[in-house]
Amino acid sequence: MGLIEEVLTIELPVGENFRIQRCRYVPKKGEPTKRISVVSGIHGDELEGQYVCFLLGQWLREHPEAIKGTIDIYPAINSLGIDSITRSVPFYDVDLNRTFPGSKNDFLPAQIADGVVDVMRGSDFAIDIHSSNVFLREIPQVRIAKSQEEILVPLANLLNIDFVWVHDAVTVLESTFAHAMNTIGTKTLVVEMGVGMRLGEAYGHQLLDGLLNLMAHEGILDIAPLDVRFPIQSHVGEVAYLNAACPGLFVPAIDHCQIIKQGSVVGHIVSALSGEVLDEVIAPIGGILFTIRAYPIVYEGSLLGRIFGENNEAI
Amino acid sequence: MKRFDIVTLESPNRAAFRIEGFLFGDENSKGPSVAIVGAMSGDHINQLYVASGLVEYLRIKEEEGNIIGRILVIPAVNAYAINMGEKNWPLDKTDLNMMFPGYALGETTQRITSRLFETLKGYDYGIILEGRRDQGMCLPYVKLIQSGYEDLECVKDLGLGFIHYRPHDPIETAMLQYNWQLWETKAFSIVFGKNGAIDQSTSNEVHTAIVRFLSKREMLDTPVFEGRKSNIVDPNRITILKASRAGILISKVQCGAHVQKGETLGKIIDALSGQKLEKIVSPCEGIVTCQYAHPLIFQNSIIFRIASVEHCCHIDSAKSTSD
Ligand SMILES: [Zn+2]
Repeated sequence: MGLIEEVLTIELPVGENFRIQRCRYVPKKGEPTKRISVVSGIHGDELEGQYVCFLLGQWLREHPEAIKGTIDIYPAINSLGIDSITRSVPFYDVDLNRTFPGSKNDFLPAQIADGVVDVMRGSDFAIDIHSSNVFLREIPQVRIAKSQEEILVPLANLLNIDFVWVHDAVTVLESTFAHAMNTIGTKTLVVEMGVGMRLGEAYGHQLLDGLLNLMAHEGILDIAPLDVRFPIQSHVGEVAYLNAACPGLFVPAIDHCQIIKQGSVVGHIVSALSGEVLDEVIAPIGGILFTIRAYPIVYEGSLLGRIFGENNEAI
Repeated sequence: MKRFDIVTLESPNRAAFRIEGFLFGDENSKGPSVAIVGAMSGDHINQLYVASGLVEYLRIKEEEGNIIGRILVIPAVNAYAINMGEKNWPLDKTDLNMMFPGYALGETTQRITSRLFETLKGYDYGIILEGRRDQGMCLPYVKLIQSGYEDLECVKDLGLGFIHYRPHDPIETAMLQYNWQLWETKAFSIVFGKNGAIDQSTSNEVHTAIVRFLSKREMLDTPVFEGRKSNIVDPNRITILKASRAGILISKVQCGAHVQKGETLGKIIDALSGQKLEKIVSPCEGIVTCQYAHPLIFQNSIIFRIASVEHCCHIDSAKSTSD
């Protein structure tokens, strides 16, 4: 029932076009109030966003009368990558999310980035859904650059996520989609949840509720706001990083992201060759383990997990 | 010559990762010092070749007693990727040249670049042999980004034809050149060749330019021919020719060619029907500094960059990030 359009096409060498498709929903009657873009697949190996796009589309098809604004769904920005388990832009092997705002006068990844910004220009909001990568599993969270804190944190609090992580601005992140869109006045939230190459049904439904709630608050949907969870705010505590002390096979002792105590065992690094346990990975602080390694092969330094601990509070 | 490991890192199963360095000259020498960094990416084979060629050349010069400064050459930063046909760090696909200055307690690749950077700090000059980010090939040129600490004078001693001197992109703040400059090394990149391949004449030109630099900057006692007077490239004098169609690209000219206005430079044919889709004609007189080097071309890709003495009128946008 939404209008499906090709919003960007670029010829490929042999009888095919690269394309980005969008499904657009508009009110049956009257002018749209505001415009939101729901975006996934900037990284071709991240699929949680595809499921959220499906759930949202399904909901909108069932509730056309509630639609008061323009709702654009872009499930696959790096469409070549999504259909081939390729994180970066194939052929060029470049991370699309380090190529924004892009340029018409540059190589293919930059042209795609430029086209994406052009198509979404004028949106009031954009929700950029990522699912970490194949190495890490994340609880639903929104990441916000410090400079955008005041504008974006209130919006993120509507999204039914578990954690809002405000991080220091890093210049290299100025080449991301979110930065490019925030710069041109589209309030853009980056959601990280789940793990690459897989989808988790529960997280998909959780974020759907958040999207519906955000749209209710902003008058894009004529529905009552939902009763959503209030995320943990990163400014009340600190993030501890667990990095592998040695190479080997990481065997987690914990299944899911959860609350853990200081000193508890997160997992072990073992040697497949010698049969030795090489290292026991211990939580340096108590708190919520919001990132855990999903891919077992590790080198020295490989990220095994991240714990958020609230200050001055025993957990 | 002293050959030593700058970085070693154990792997779960394969043999340890190593970054090897070759040091020439007396460690206590009062002369100036330079570090030369080769292949940071697994497809920078031409960069590897030039760097290893320098090691052999400097070994002979050292035996002859002609090293007066201190010269470190690191032919391969990412040997793990080179050995398996990958471009980036093989496990997590991060580009090592996007990980500077590194972080000793961070992710694996941050630890690698951090340890490497510790060794690179303190050199007077830093030469980075770089490949391209796209499918192009180009005349060797100097890429000097404006960090506030760059040194335009010294790069002229290379005697290469072109110097791209421009503000830095956000992503370049994570690259070696920018960070090295911040640590007050006069760092610059020489960009050349085609990724994954070796071009002999280009390699010779870069080798000669570096030898000239080492001689003029008093690290190497050897007579050299004068190089070219470098042109600082003004983006307004570069004409960009783009492919209006995708297909098979047949190029009629090589990098370095001096082309005339109206000259046919190549064509694009339909990869299935064989039909000619586009004839590529030069809109101006100039020198081809860069060309698309893969036989298959995408729509809107840049086929040629042509540098002209005169301002060219055919530019449809001022901004172009890759050069
Ligand atoms: Zn992502």
